Amino acid sequence: MTVKEVYSEVGGNYEDVISRLRTDERVARFLAKVASDGSFVLLEKSFSEKNTEEAFRAAHTIKGVCMNLSLTKLYDSSARLTEILRGRTAFGDDLSALFEEVKKDYLHTVECINKLN
Amino acid sequence: MRKNKRKILIVDDSELNRSLLADMLEEDFEIVEAENGVEAIRILHERELEISLVLLDIVMPQMDGFGVLSMMNRTGWIKTVPVIMISAESGGMYIDRAYDLGAIDYISRPFDERTVKHRVACNFMLGARQKEMSELLTRQIYQKEKDNSLMIEILSHIVEFRNGESGLHVLHVNYITQLVLEQLVSMTDKYKLTPQDIRVISNASALHDIGKITIPSEILNKPGRFTPEEFEIMKKHTLEGAKMLGDIPYRKDEELVKIGYQICRWHHERYDGRGYPDGLVGDEIPIAAQAVSLADVYDALTSKRVYKDAYAPETAVKMILRGECGTFNPLLLDCLRELAPKLEKELHLVSLGNASEEKIQDSVKHILKGSRSDASARSIRLLERERQKFRYLSDLTGEIVFEYTSVPETLLLSERGAQTLGLPMRIDDPQNNAEWHSVFSKDDFNRLLESMRSASAISPVITSMFQLTFGGERKWTKIVAKTMWGDSESPEFEGAIGKIMDVNDETVTMRNLEKKAEVDERTGLYNNDTAKLKIEKLLAEAGGRRFALAMFDIDDFKQANDKYGHLFGNKVLAAVADRIRANIRSTDIAARMGGDEFVIFMEYQDSVLPQTKRIFKRLTEKYCEFDVGISMGVACSEDASDYETLFLMADTAMYSVKRDKKNGFAFYDKSMKGTLKQQN
Repeated sequence: MTVKEVYSEVGGNYEDVISRLRTDERVARFLAKVASDGSFVLLEKSFSEKNTEEAFRAAHTIKGVCMNLSLTKLYDSSARLTEILRGRTAFGDDLSALFEEVKKDYLHTVECINKLN
Repeated sequence: MRKNKRKILIVDDSELNRSLLADMLEEDFEIVEAENGVEAIRILHERELEISLVLLDIVMPQMDGFGVLSMMNRTGWIKTVPVIMISAESGGMYIDRAYDLGAIDYISRPFDERTVKHRVACNFMLGARQKEMSELLTRQIYQKEKDNSLMIEILSHIVEFRNGESGLHVLHVNYITQLVLEQLVSMTDKYKLTPQDIRVISNASALHDIGKITIPSEILNKPGRFTPEEFEIMKKHTLEGAKMLGDIPYRKDEELVKIGYQICRWHHERYDGRGYPDGLVGDEIPIAAQAVSLADVYDALTSKRVYKDAYAPETAVKMILRGECGTFNPLLLDCLRELAPKLEKELHLVSLGNASEEKIQDSVKHILKGSRSDASARSIRLLERERQKFRYLSDLTGEIVFEYTSVPETLLLSERGAQTLGLPMRIDDPQNNAEWHSVFSKDDFNRLLESMRSASAISPVITSMFQLTFGGERKWTKIVAKTMWGDSESPEFEGAIGKIMDVNDETVTMRNLEKKAEVDERTGLYNNDTAKLKIEKLLAEAGGRRFALAMFDIDDFKQANDKYGHLFGNKVLAAVADRIRANIRSTDIAARMGGDEFVIFMEYQDSVLPQTKRIFKRLTEKYCEFDVGISMGVACSEDASDYETLFLMADTAMYSVKRDKKNGFAFYDKSMKGTLKQQN
C-alpha cells in the first residue's frame, strides 16, 4: 500500500498531511511510529484499572498524534473520548462504548499502516 | 556553523510528537528532549544557559506545561529563555494563561512544517540577539576600561621613568587615594562621592605628575637641593600638566579629564593656603586634589629617592600628622590615622601588573551593577547555576546539605537531605518553624546559629555535634558549615552552607567505649580509678556539703564461691551492686574496688547514721540460699578532706568490724587513729 492508499483506507486526510509535513517519506516514517507507540497500550491498561486520569492523558496523546498526522477518523473518536474523560474522576459505563470505538479505529489504522510498502 | 548549532528543548509526553518536531528542526538546531515537566525543569537547571528556546506541551504527566511556566517564573528563566507553547488545546483560556505566564508564542497542532520553522526561527533570533547584545556590552565595557587604565599607566610611567622613580609610585598613589576616599566617605557625607567618583579620581591620580614631562631632566633629576630659580621651574609642572589636559581638543567634558585637570593643577596646594600654584585655601581645593596630594606625600616619604632614604610607615604618618610635610584637611588626616595600619600592611602588596586586571574586573562589575543591565543579571545567573550544580552534586552523594540565609531567614535543604530528614526542601523562618524544630530542637538550632555568628570571615568554618530527630530516632550528627560574610569593611554574617553528617553509630560506640572504660564490667558500677577521680572532684567542690565514704566487703565470699561456684559468686556481686544502686541517690558514687570490695560515697545532711543503717539493712538481705553479710567501715568528710585519708579511715573502720564479729558497720573515730598509723 502507498501512503495515499493507507490514508483513504483508514479515513485520513492525505492532502492535509502532505501539505504540512511535505514528503511521503516523512509521513510514512511517522505512521510507523503510530504503530509502535505505547499510548494505546496505556489507554487499555488505564481502562482496565479504571484510572480516568491516566486514560485521559493516553487518549489525549493519541488525539494529538492523529491530529498531526491527519488521521481524521481515529482523531474523531479519540477526541470524543478525550473530552468525555477531561476533568473526570469517576469511572462510568458510558466510557466503554467510546473506548471500543477508539479501539476499533486504532486497530484498523495500525493494521493498514503495517501494510505500507 | 554546524557544530555550533543552538539548542532547543522540546517538552512533550508523546515521543512521536517530539520526534516530529525534532525532524522539522534538527537541520538548524540541536534538539534536547524532555518527556514531562519535571524532566524539563531538571534540564533547565543544568543547562539553562545552553538552551535557546523551549517548545512546551501543556498536558503532560508529573508536571504540566503551566507548571513548567510557573517554575520558570520563579527561577527567572522565563526572562531569558523564550517559550513557545505547543498543544492541541485551542481554547482561548489556555492561550491567555500561557501568555500571562510569559510564553511568547503559541503553535497549535497539527504541526505545519513551515509554521513551526518560521515561528521558532523568529523567536529564537529575538532571544539570541538579546543574549549577544548583553555579552557584547560586557565585552565593550571591559575593553574600554582596559584601554583607559592602560593609557593612563603608559602615560604615567613615561613620566616616572624620566623622573627616575619606580613605576610603583603611580600604583601606590592610586591605591592610597582610593583607600583615603573610601575611608572619608565612611566617616562623613560632607563630600558627595559615589564609588564611581572614587574610581575616576583614583584612576586620574595617575596623571598627577604628567606636567613633569615639560621640566628639563637636569632639574628633574638633580640629586641636591633646588636653587630658588630651579624650584620655580619645578613648580610649573602643576600648571603644565593641567594645561596638557585642558588643551585636549575633544572630550573636555570627560569626567576623567576634568578630574585629571584638578589633580594636576592643585595637588601641591596646601589646606592653609600656602601651597602652589594658586594658593587655594581649605575646600577651595577640590577633594580629588587634596586626596592625591596626601597620597603623594605619604608614598614619597615611605619610598627611597635620589635625595633621601625611605622613612618607616609609622614615622611617615607621624611626620604628616605633625604638619612637617604641609598642611592637610583635618578630615583627611583622620582618614590617614585610621588607615595607617592597613597601609603599612598592604601597600607593598600592590605591584605592577596584577593591580590593573583586578581593577578592571572591579570596575566592569561596578558599571554593570550601576546600569542594572542584563549582563549583570547574567553573571548572577551564572552564580546561581553554580549553586544549582553544587546542590545537584550533593544530591548525588546523598549527603544532607543545607544552605542558610540570614536575611530573609531561610534554610534550603538538598533534595536527599530533605528526604532523609522528612522535611520540605525549603524551610522559611527556621527560628520559629515548628516543623524544623521537630527535627532540630529550638535550643540546639539557636546554639548552632550562635556558633556560626561567632565565626568570622577569616576563619569561617565551624564544626559541632548535635542530636537531631529523624527517621523515628534521635541521632548524633556532625555539622560542618562554612559561614558567609559580606564584603564590607566590617563584614556581616550573611549565612552559611554546610552539611549534616549522620555519625550516630560512631558516636554511640565511642560513648559506650568511654563509659566502658569507667565502669566495672561485672557490676556496672564505677571502677577503682574512676571512683577516685569522681570522689576527688566532689571533695574539691564540696564547700559546706558533707560526705561519707563507706567501704565494705562481703563476709565469707570466698567460701561462698567455693561452695556454690564462681557463677554464683558473680551473681552475688551483681545483686549487691543492684542493691547499692537502688539505695543511693543518683548524685552519690558507688564503685567496685576489686574482688568483693565496694565503696559508696554519699552526701548526708545532719547525721550519716540513718542512711548507713538503711543501706546496711538492704545489702544484707538474703540472696537465694546465701546469707549475705558485710563488714562496712564509714569515714566522714569532717574527719578528713582528702580521698586517700578518707579511704584509709574507712578501711580501718572496716577492719575493726571484721576483727570483732563481721556483718556490721562501724564509723571511724579517733580511737582508731593508732591502727590507722600502723597501716600507714
